[in-house]
Amino acid sequence: MPKHEAKVIVFRSAAEMPPMPASVATTLYNKTGSWRYIRPVYRERTPPCNEACPAGEDIVAYLGLVADGRFREAWEVLRRENPLPGVCGRVCPHPCETQCNRERLGGAIAIHHVERFLSDWAAEQGLTPPPQRPTRRERIAVVGSGPAGLSCAYHLAGKGYPVTIFEADPLPGGMLRTGIPAYRLPRHVLDREIAAIEALGVEIRTGMRLGGNLSWDDLSSYAAVFLALGQPLSRKLDIPGEEAQGVLHGLSFLRRLNLGERVEIGRRVAVIGGGNTAMDAARVARRLGAEVTVVYRRSRAEMPAIAEEVQEAEEEGVHFHFLAAPVEVLVQDGRVSGLRCLRMRLGEPDASGRRRPEPIPGSDFTLEVDTVIPALGQEADFSALPEDIRRERGAVAIELTGATTRPGIYAGGDLATGFGTVTAAIGSGKRAAIAIDRTLRGEALPEFPALSHNMRVAPRPVSPEVVAFEELNLAYLRPIPRPAERLRPVPERLGDFGEVNPGLDTETVVAEGQRCFSCGTCNRCDNCLIFCPDVSIRRRGDWTNAYPTYPYFEVDYDYCKGCGICASECPRRAITMEEELLWRK
Amino acid sequence: MSKTNEQVERLPRLGHRPNYVLPEEELLLQGHVACPGCGASLSMRYALKALGKQTIVVIPACCWSIIAGPFPYSSLEVPIYHTAFETTGALASGVRAALKVLGREDITVMGWAGDGGTFDIGLQALSGAVERNEDFIYVCYDNEAYMNTGIQRSSATPWLAWTTTTPTAHPKDEPKKDIVAIMAAHRIPYVATATVGFPEDMVRKFQKARSIRGAKFLHLLSPCPPGWRAEAADTIRLTRLAVQSKVFPLYEVENGEKYTITVWPEPEVPVREYLMLQGRFRHLTEEQVEMIQQEVDRNWARLVERARSGL
Amino acid sequence: MEKVITGNYAVSYGAKLARAQVIAAYPITPQTSIIEKLASFCADGELDAVFIKVESEHSAMAACIGASAAGARAFTATSGQGLLLMHEMLHWAAGGRHPIVMGAVNRGIAPGWSVWTEQSDTLAQRDTGWIQYYCESNQEVLDTVIQAFKVAETVYLPAMVVLDAFVLSHTSEAVDIPDQELVDRYLPPFRPKWKLDVDDPHAFGALVTPGEWFELRYKIQQAMNEALEVARQADAEYGRIFGRQWGLVESYRMEGAEVALVTSSTITSTARQVVDEVREEGLPVGLVKVRLFRPFPVPDLVQALQGVKKVAVLDRNLTFGQCGVFGEELQAALYNTPLRPPLFDFVLGLGGRDVTPETIRQVIRHTLEHDAPEEPIIWVGVKR
Repeated sequence: MPKHEAKVIVFRSAAEMPPMPASVATTLYNKTGSWRYIRPVYRERTPPCNEACPAGEDIVAYLGLVADGRFREAWEVLRRENPLPGVCGRVCPHPCETQCNRERLGGAIAIHHVERFLSDWAAEQGLTPPPQRPTRRERIAVVGSGPAGLSCAYHLAGKGYPVTIFEADPLPGGMLRTGIPAYRLPRHVLDREIAAIEALGVEIRTGMRLGGNLSWDDLSSYAAVFLALGQPLSRKLDIPGEEAQGVLHGLSFLRRLNLGERVEIGRRVAVIGGGNTAMDAARVARRLGAEVTVVYRRSRAEMPAIAEEVQEAEEEGVHFHFLAAPVEVLVQDGRVSGLRCLRMRLGEPDASGRRRPEPIPGSDFTLEVDTVIPALGQEADFSALPEDIRRERGAVAIELTGATTRPGIYAGGDLATGFGTVTAAIGSGKRAAIAIDRTLRGEALPEFPALSHNMRVAPRPVSPEVVAFEELNLAYLRPIPRPAERLRPVPERLGDFGEVNPGLDTETVVAEGQRCFSCGTCNRCDNCLIFCPDVSIRRRGDWTNAYPTYPYFEVDYDYCKGCGICASECPRRAITMEEELLWRK
Repeated sequence: MSKTNEQVERLPRLGHRPNYVLPEEELLLQGHVACPGCGASLSMRYALKALGKQTIVVIPACCWSIIAGPFPYSSLEVPIYHTAFETTGALASGVRAALKVLGREDITVMGWAGDGGTFDIGLQALSGAVERNEDFIYVCYDNEAYMNTGIQRSSATPWLAWTTTTPTAHPKDEPKKDIVAIMAAHRIPYVATATVGFPEDMVRKFQKARSIRGAKFLHLLSPCPPGWRAEAADTIRLTRLAVQSKVFPLYEVENGEKYTITVWPEPEVPVREYLMLQGRFRHLTEEQVEMIQQEVDRNWARLVERARSGL
Repeated sequence: MEKVITGNYAVSYGAKLARAQVIAAYPITPQTSIIEKLASFCADGELDAVFIKVESEHSAMAACIGASAAGARAFTATSGQGLLLMHEMLHWAAGGRHPIVMGAVNRGIAPGWSVWTEQSDTLAQRDTGWIQYYCESNQEVLDTVIQAFKVAETVYLPAMVVLDAFVLSHTSEAVDIPDQELVDRYLPPFRPKWKLDVDDPHAFGALVTPGEWFELRYKIQQAMNEALEVARQADAEYGRIFGRQWGLVESYRMEGAEVALVTSSTITSTARQVVDEVREEGLPVGLVKVRLFRPFPVPDLVQALQGVKKVAVLDRNLTFGQCGVFGEELQAALYNTPLRPPLFDFVLGLGGRDVTPETIRQVIRHTLEHDAPEEPIIWVGVKR
């Protein structure tokens, strides 16, 4: 019988027929694709991690590569979107993990550990982004070398622009350097990632302050300016005694320490606030030998700090007074002698959606402290900005592109968005870079999503629909627990400023990649190919000699009957059934 | 409940790929005329993957008489003999006898019949052939009614199911005939159940059957979307639910005595979940569903006991 | 080698000499000793065949078809009810073009169990596409089984060799059993072109639409037409090798005959004897024996009946609502030829009722006394 020929047999006479009804050809002549009214299409969808990442990383893609042990490619995918994975992997509150569908079946993938592993691994291998010589004439100025500024500079340099970053501090990094302690973000990690950006040709000029030795005139020769000044000002306590000696604002405390100064604090410290700065200040104070109490006006559940920070602080012996707020700094001889506080209770939710704390009259108590470190939040400093750069609700007003009201001036990070995380800042720097590049080329601007959403420089054609847990085919998915953290023991931690969390080992990281459901993203599980009753799904290309490229499979639409089994049995909803008529035009 | 034996099929490889590893060769060609989502076509695909090219297939009147394609075409890369409805066991015996005389014992003879041609009209020839311990594999792909002729009831139709000859005003009175018990009573070397939702289990069983000399019987649950009034896309899911609800346990019986459960239902689901995906059960009352549940539980308990005690 | 054997054993020896490779059979009186003998040949190793002890005749034919389809020479034997049960599969064997040979012992059709001879059971299969030979003696039976394989394997149609219950099946006669070597020369091994072959796979017997069906039927008829000549030549060749040939039709004392008796099976022997007697009495009566019934040997019969004034067909069978089958077939064959003598169809001997010389004389008398038949059936020996 002829193999794999699709031919129609026509007998012109009885003599041409076999003597009995015996086949002489195959059914391949019969293109059963004509039966279809719906057809399967490989259409990747957005996994919740990708949706949630403020920096716009393609998490599912690099997890898939890590699962195969292809670290180099995974690192490529990661750093193409985010130049600071070593940083983010350590300090990001990982909303990706909060949204991860795996949380409901064993525990979210430890994405931040994977991210940090890739950065550390790449550094070990001596990998750096490919060198980029400037191909464009237009010079770009970035003011501020925090995460927003670094990100913007990185992406513009990658597009061929000569970029200069102006940084007021003596060392680059912004809050990464001055706000985050070394036990969370080792200095060498920050330094190497900044160095990698400089290696692209980005010039960082430290000691240059806008409104000081850097004037707007100096900036006028640049084709575009990205302002990433952050929120360097601490919010005031606004209670009596605030001016006493021994009251150190959190930001300032951390900054001085991180820039190498010896900072003296007392033996008993009260830190006020519930955010990451408060936790950082508290834990630093512990390492300086103090007894530390955190006073926070709401309950633990409302604390904006990353949960791990709070837990590690607790482990390190930080005490917590929840539902308490300071009302007066007690002063003796000009120095802090105590902190009078009032108990609070939670009332109705306020504008932020959190329940408003209400003081309980007569519930005063006093903490015996000699140091008070308020960490109540940060504010932007607009003093260097001209009037025509409009502000709104405590931030510089920007379009979706990041453009301010002054032509050629863009802004991002905490200065403009106030989102408060490193990763969001990185995302906003990328957004502005995309906008600046397109504008300078005279090209149409792409659709910019809302400021709270991320963007990619290298987007994959993926449907924006996010895959919900209920859509996964759980028949193929079983609970596997998330790996345990390997924190250093507390006494060790308190002894130095060395990194508290060493991350995960290689095997565990690869296992995390494999534990990923790969929501909405084909990972070549073969289910569609195996379950097709019409043998009409096959691998596309040769998988043995080269790493496969998407789409990994192809549907033979000549024969596919549109039964939909492939879409139904895809564990991760990477196949969609679509109306056939829409395809037959 | 602990597993009673070691031969427990591993559940799909998780998280990572591939979920199933099957022989790669395809001996089922495209262009066959099975309905979209047909369990019988997928069953043949796996059967031939397991058995390979050295196989002769005997097909009586059933859906596969049509699925194979009209004269002068065939959808299989192995020889087929289409035969009369009741004759699978007999014709296959003749083929085996010829192969023996011609010195071709390496060729597998497989009868491939529907439930009508196995449980009803073909039962005599089947019983005769396995009683003689003819060296062949008899496969019944069971879609639980005479589907090829338009969904009439057979003795394989489950209790209370709708068919055209058991309409909802009077659905099927009798329980499904226990064909595995009948085959086991013949004490043939190997009897097993399998279904497409568990492809590795099915392939392993076909390969095991092939390695044994003598009569082998495989009972496959084969969803029929039009006949069961179910979605074509649900075929795999239905077989999975059938196993998880213990309506169709996956097990083997060797020499009529040794029972082995090969896939443990995990997670266990109530029969309702299986039934409610099929329009042929839509008319069931709560009470009837409960009765079905009890019957399924009873049968399962008996099977587990047999597997445990080896009787 | 000469042996005194029954008609049934003659069938067995025929199948053995023909080197049947697969035998699938089910017992039924009066065929049973055919398969018993074959079973013992197989068990003793005298015959290298697989004997499938099937559980019914329908399955026996199905198994033979399977075996033949897979390339083996297949054989079975049955009778009466068993043959009827096989009916569906007889069609299958012919439509599938499988050259299976079967020994068929004529027996009455139930209800009312009858194990005695009547030809209705095999004649009821005349539409199936099987070649049919009706034998008069045990020697003829053995020789015809061997010839049947040769003819069947040339035209790819199955063939049945028919013999009367008890009168032949259980009656011993002296039979020359030929040398295996001679039979091997006459009948080469079975090597079908179309078969179940994993190296050249085909699907046999799939759905045939109106677009192709007609031609396939045409081809079966063509094979039947071909079988006439092939049977003639096979018989002639048999004569050359074994010294015996039987013809498709045999004329006995037909020179100058005005009345021709047309007979088949063992009635023929009795009729020969009576023809001799009445010829002595000066009656111009001759005998034409029909040996090959399917394909119906029209040219041979037309030739044998040239110049005859009346034809008397002796039918040990009946098709209800018509008449005797040989009579019916002969009338149909002659209708469009110039040869249309009055044809008397005598139905006699049903269910083993004895056909004696007196019965035959009665037939001759009636024919001579009437110019034309007054009824479609002339019943002989029925208590009306």
